[in-house]
Amino acid sequence: MKCFLAKQFNLLDFAFSSLWRRRLKNGAVLLVFAGVIFLVASFHLATTALTATAERLLASAPDIVIQNMAAGRQESVPLAYEQELGGLFGIKKVVPRIWGYYFDEIRGANFTVLGVDPARMPLGEHLGQTLAVGVFPGAGVSGEGAAAGNAQVGTATGDGAAEPVDQVAAGVAPAVLGSLVSASLEVGKGDYFSLFRPDLSLKTFAVSGLFRADGDLLSGDLIALHLDEARDLFQIPSHLATDLCVYVYNPAEINNMARRIAEALPDTRVLTREQIQRTYQAVFGWRSGFAAVLLLAALAAFVILAWDKASGLSPEERREVAILKIVGWETPDVLALRCWEALLVAGFAFLLGVIGAWIHVVYFDAGLFRPVMVGWSVIHPGFALVPRIEAQDVLLLFSLTVLPYLAATVIPTWRCASVPAEDAL
Amino acid sequence: MMLVELERVNKIYNKGKANEVWALRDADLRVGEGEMVCLRGPSGSGKSTLLAIIGCVFPPSSGRAAIARRQLARLPDRFLTIHRRQTIGFIFQRFNLLPALSVRDNITLPLLPLGVSPSECRRRAGVLLERLGIAHRENFPVRMLSGGEQQRVAIARALINDQPLVLADEPTAHLDSALSREFMAIMADLKAAGKTIIVTSHDPLVAEHPVIDRVVEVHDGRVLPAAAGPPAGDSSVTDHGCHGVSGHGVPQDGVPGDRLHSPSSVGGGG
Repeated sequence: MKCFLAKQFNLLDFAFSSLWRRRLKNGAVLLVFAGVIFLVASFHLATTALTATAERLLASAPDIVIQNMAAGRQESVPLAYEQELGGLFGIKKVVPRIWGYYFDEIRGANFTVLGVDPARMPLGEHLGQTLAVGVFPGAGVSGEGAAAGNAQVGTATGDGAAEPVDQVAAGVAPAVLGSLVSASLEVGKGDYFSLFRPDLSLKTFAVSGLFRADGDLLSGDLIALHLDEARDLFQIPSHLATDLCVYVYNPAEINNMARRIAEALPDTRVLTREQIQRTYQAVFGWRSGFAAVLLLAALAAFVILAWDKASGLSPEERREVAILKIVGWETPDVLALRCWEALLVAGFAFLLGVIGAWIHVVYFDAGLFRPVMVGWSVIHPGFALVPRIEAQDVLLLFSLTVLPYLAATVIPTWRCASVPAEDAL
Repeated sequence: MMLVELERVNKIYNKGKANEVWALRDADLRVGEGEMVCLRGPSGSGKSTLLAIIGCVFPPSSGRAAIARRQLARLPDRFLTIHRRQTIGFIFQRFNLLPALSVRDNITLPLLPLGVSPSECRRRAGVLLERLGIAHRENFPVRMLSGGEQQRVAIARALINDQPLVLADEPTAHLDSALSREFMAIMADLKAAGKTIIVTSHDPLVAEHPVIDRVVEVHDGRVLPAAAGPPAGDSSVTDHGCHGVSGHGVPQDGVPGDRLHSPSSVGGGG
């Protein structure tokens, strides 16, 4: 065993010097290979980061969302449905929600506006935990209250602790902004901004808080308002909402409840949280898969090139093998040497590629693939990616990249190692 | 005791094909331990094939070949390699060194697959470098050495495993006469140290050197009997194709005979 290890150590040492002797050629192979691994790993890391973020954020989404459908498209849902659902056993709460998109013509940006009533939401008091700074438009207090004088804009704070309510000017509604909206409108906490109603009258908001950056995937382009302020902004009649959020007592019964709701309200579309999560997974998975196919094609091309290179021996390599054989190296020794060489190149390229991908995703937010992964919109979501690396991911990347290279270089080495010793004579 | 015993050895390349070549026909050769023999003959006469069979590079097509009391025909490829590693040191016409490797790395090449530790490799190489007078070049890439120095590196590599049999294929073909004499002086030292040496050469300086015990003529794939005269018109072949023994272990040409004595201090085979 000791002799075996000593032999492998000697061969490894010789492999290093052998690679160094052909450093230009091996350096070029290493760089190209590291580049391919970098691309594949970047995509993989970005995808896992996106799906993990989506999963985490959607964990606090409603159990069931009910949307009203007319002629195959979504329309406002009557609040009267709330009463109809009240009769279904197992439903904890039904909360109306108003949301829509606001196109800012001046900045050419599209914002998502969401109106909720935290006071009616289970765990609504915890909404403040999604904030980096400030308070969420609070329970039972709205811009209407503000209109009556100094407004209490909320009690849910960024750190989840109760804080004294903010005071805003009369007629001004509190709003929480995603970081992109904040950057786009160039406003911070305490600043004011105005949006147009459909009748082109202006509605003014005060920034009462900012969402945390790690939720930018969903909240980057978001303006969160109190339900009534959103209703006022979009001028939606008081008996309508965009959709209804349903919370159930028993999470194991969500699918069952969804089926019963669909039966009770046949003109609606009933979406469970799991379905929404699956949609996100599918969107990212599809984009990632599309890119992965392209990148794996590049990897395959590289592997074929490596195979071609490894299977054709240069006269210099042939002579070297013959010399090794005639001074007493056996075919398995030559094979082991070539394996070490391939492993060193592939291992080093793998390390370079994965570390590069990590830096690319963490510090540059996967800048190269961002448009592909998150889609194109007028306002590009500028969220920060937080990748997670697990042993299975590393193994998967290793299997997809290093193993094909090793196979492509080591298998033809049999030919190389079987160069007869008499070639040296 | 005989170290090399070839009896009616034949070697046929591309047997059964249109380009079949009989490289050796019924070759007989016996070389005793400590003997120094020169194989001489024109190009294509079969000298190198004979040397390759003696060197366990490949087995003969037929006939009996025993090197260091091992029958080659019975050894599978792997054991042929191991036998070669333990028994034979090769010195090549063009040295066959790896030019980008340092002198020491070239010399220790045969030790690597044996699992000899780096410190032991260094020690053995150091002893040989010192004895061959190239210790000051230890870390130089061999491509930067002169022809004579490169040949000393090749000799050191052939001796690193302390093999009893040294084979040299046209060792002076690319050396001037001064370096050729230097090479023969080293061979004389090796012989004095108890090595068995077989050299192929056209060079009279080698074949007629007093340290050579015997010259064996090889012609058209046949090893000529010792009593046979040289083929007509071959002026390079000396009388009877055989030289007198010039005294085993006695250095000639004023070469210090103790330079390469005590090879065991270099280390045994791994």
